Amino acid sequence: MNAIYVENLSKVYRTRIKEEGLQASFKALVKPVYKEVQAVNDISFTVEQGEILAFIGPNGAGKSTTIKMLTGILHPTSGRVSVLGLDPVRQRRELSYRIGTVFGQKSQLWFHLPPIDSFVLLGAIYDVDKKTLNKRIAELTELFELGELLQTPVRKLSLGQRIRCEVAASLLHEPDILFLDEPTIGLDVVIKQSIRQLILRMNRERGTTIFLTSHDTGDVERICKRAIIIDRGRIILDQPVKRLKYDYLNRKIIAVRFEFPQHLEVPEGVKLEKSTDISARLSVDTRICSIDGVMRWLIAQGGVADITVEDPPMEEVIASIFQQKEGKSQ
Amino acid sequence: MKAVGKYITVLRISLQNAFVYRSNVLGGFVFYIMFMFVFFNLWRAIYKSGEVAGYSLVQMVWYLCMTELIMFGCRTGVFFQMNEDVKSGSIAYQLNRPYHYVLYQFFNALGGMIFNLLLYGLMAIVIGMIMVGPIPGFSFSTLPLSLISMVLGMCINFFFLMALGLTAFRLEDNTAFYLIYQKLVFMLGMFIPVEFLPGWLQTITRYLPFSYMTWAPARLIVAFSWELFWAVVPVQLLWLTVSFVLTMGMYRYGVAGIQAHGG
Repeated sequence: MNAIYVENLSKVYRTRIKEEGLQASFKALVKPVYKEVQAVNDISFTVEQGEILAFIGPNGAGKSTTIKMLTGILHPTSGRVSVLGLDPVRQRRELSYRIGTVFGQKSQLWFHLPPIDSFVLLGAIYDVDKKTLNKRIAELTELFELGELLQTPVRKLSLGQRIRCEVAASLLHEPDILFLDEPTIGLDVVIKQSIRQLILRMNRERGTTIFLTSHDTGDVERICKRAIIIDRGRIILDQPVKRLKYDYLNRKIIAVRFEFPQHLEVPEGVKLEKSTDISARLSVDTRICSIDGVMRWLIAQGGVADITVEDPPMEEVIASIFQQKEGKSQ
Repeated sequence: MKAVGKYITVLRISLQNAFVYRSNVLGGFVFYIMFMFVFFNLWRAIYKSGEVAGYSLVQMVWYLCMTELIMFGCRTGVFFQMNEDVKSGSIAYQLNRPYHYVLYQFFNALGGMIFNLLLYGLMAIVIGMIMVGPIPGFSFSTLPLSLISMVLGMCINFFFLMALGLTAFRLEDNTAFYLIYQKLVFMLGMFIPVEFLPGWLQTITRYLPFSYMTWAPARLIVAFSWELFWAVVPVQLLWLTVSFVLTMGMYRYGVAGIQAHGG
């Protein structure tokens, strides 16, 4: 059975536009001018139960709007949505028992109280009985290594600690689908990695369907099996991450700094994007040239002071998808 | 039973939160004392002797103590919190939960209101005793009845504020409603008793909800009579029903057209 079924879904926002100045304010009062913004434009897709789907795109692409329609918060302008066989708008309450959500930039925990209090409250809201709730909290505490964080007021937690508690909080009622909206935003590499592992474990052990939005290419590569890329409200790509990796996520960015001036003769598969006497930014095509090989080559140049390896930003990936698509159609 | 237990837990946690987040109250104390000090001096200058419209100086000061108590007791920020939640998008967390949003907000605010009522109540008694001493003819036996009226007044105020706050779901800027509402509450009962208003305005005021939030309970405390009790409490119950139904309607209307910000 499909966990999520979406057909020809669209959402149009109507916002008031107002020009600068007092005169324009009066005009807007008498005769408001509206602008229509097409946040989501005729998208269709399905998600299988137990699948981990990445729903990615740059800022403002319509990711959060889609999640909000799937969870029943926003009413679609047109199209059909079914989540776990339910209509999110008409059966919102019924659906809410079976889904969990984490919005990375917002908090569901009480700021001045320790997370355990929010957990107890959420347990009551989701009608989880006391015994089951305590068992769940114990399990999640172990899995997420919460320990004494549970007793620490949320305002004293670091962002990484807080996100771990946020994810745990949304799992207390054992949802069938977990919606994660930018769960790793603003986190450092190590914490990102541990959040990713937790999500994977949840999926493996409980079969939880994961619907993840992100604009971090790393999230997608490391957790998801399938990715949908959305840009300006439209789906521009829907394919397995394996293929996506091969076709588009085939580059790494290496930034290197030397202790003394160097002149680099780059090997095949490596592009010199920017360079000064003592530093360089290299774009590596991993289909031609392994990261291992490039690193060895760099070390062999001598005098390496600093190296960082990064994923290309989502904006670049999307730009290259457009380029390749246009290339094919010509 | 489960459904009720849910909201009781909400109340418990919000009460806990109020105790932890005390600094809010300390700031309020300063304002409360300042306000009382200014008006105590004003009224003392106005009153040379005797009564004005049925209030002695002692009753007038206690009247203010009580209307202020009600207003400070209602300081749960429900209006601005809802605006903030819609603008920041945190509303998304509150809407997709298995509870009724309006009831959740009410029980959430109730914790803060109970806490405020206790702290500011103590404060009000201390200030009143220092400034003018006990109310002549005050009887403890009727205090619970006046307190019922006070709680009703606070609830009416809460639901009207929430109904106004819910306009944030559809409007970009709704603070004008709040400002107008606050001024009406201030003028029609909180700052001066209804009896002080000109006759025509008194008539209008009787058909509006504002005086039933502040004037009715404060008058019951400073000059209790059964006649007054039976005249105001049924009207309060009526306004409570009206404000609750209005809030529910605003919620249904608002949630169908919510413009969620933040991506």
